[in-house]
Amino acid sequence: MHELSICQSMLGIVEKTMAEHAGARLLRIFLDVGKGSTIEPVLLSEAFEVITANGPFEGTELVVNEIPLVGRCRACGRTFEYQEVALGCPECDSVDIEIESGLELAIRELEIDEDGAGDSPGGETV
Amino acid sequence: MAKVDVGKKILSENDRVAAENRKLFDAAGALVLNFISSPGSGKTTLLEATLDRMPSDLKVLVIEGDVSTTRDLDRVKAHGATGVQINTGGGCHLSARMVAEVLPELNIADADIIFIENVGNLICPSTYDLGEDAKVVLLSTTEGDDKPMKYPSIFHESRLAILNKIDLLPHLDYDDTRAEREVSVLNADCDFLRLSARTGDGVDTWIEWITKRLEEKRS
Repeated sequence: MHELSICQSMLGIVEKTMAEHAGARLLRIFLDVGKGSTIEPVLLSEAFEVITANGPFEGTELVVNEIPLVGRCRACGRTFEYQEVALGCPECDSVDIEIESGLELAIRELEIDEDGAGDSPGGETV
Repeated sequence: MAKVDVGKKILSENDRVAAENRKLFDAAGALVLNFISSPGSGKTTLLEATLDRMPSDLKVLVIEGDVSTTRDLDRVKAHGATGVQINTGGGCHLSARMVAEVLPELNIADADIIFIENVGNLICPSTYDLGEDAKVVLLSTTEGDDKPMKYPSIFHESRLAILNKIDLLPHLDYDDTRAEREVSVLNADCDFLRLSARTGDGVDTWIEWITKRLEEKRS
């Protein structure tokens, strides 16, 4: 949901970072997106294409690392990945579960071309 | 080619403004609750019932969030609330910045409780910190007892889940035990209350929950 507004927030951070690398071209943005974050990677990429069209980041690739939703049972210590329907700890059936990962929504790193005149990620010569 | 470390949450700007909101709320000693639910679960009706029963010595402010109209603000004002309406004009959730922009219109310093009624939406508001003390998610008996697993994000984030419209249970096939269990699987630290905003059944227990949280905040 609202992937377009997420892209706007993302570009705000990216622009600030790129301002420290004058003349460089942004090739890829590496994201960590948790499966419980409500953000859908396919929709995010589509929104990103829309928002970067005709701008300085047109052609930049989004690389999404999808992080599974993992819980840890506080009763028996077992960790498990949430599947379609999770009715409790698969080991001991307890509902006392702590979420360990899967709610992330972050920019991990950028890949840039420092002299700014290389090929685009799509292989076209600038 | 070079890699540039960023390591930043995408919503870090929202989180920054939310932290500023939180500082203002904490300085006032006000308990701030962010109400989230699908449209029509009964957020506004619950606020009306709450305003009617809050201890009279507690000053309550309401921040209403909707795509358009002041209908919800008008309703809570009729029950004695002081408040302000935010219209998002199409946005599907309130953001920390939207809340920050209306705070100067309110006398925060005097407030004991601030209710923020978010835009009717069970998905998007879950990821936006507004500076609140707790998110409260509403479910209603007419929405299906299999709801929590279908919308896990908001239940991961909430401190309390309220099942509303329990007066309709005799007419429905709603399994409230199932809904409660699914909520606790998603979040073991999320409380669960059952009530009817319309009849008042269970609302006193909800008022007690609020006053307990306020006590905890101020102790």
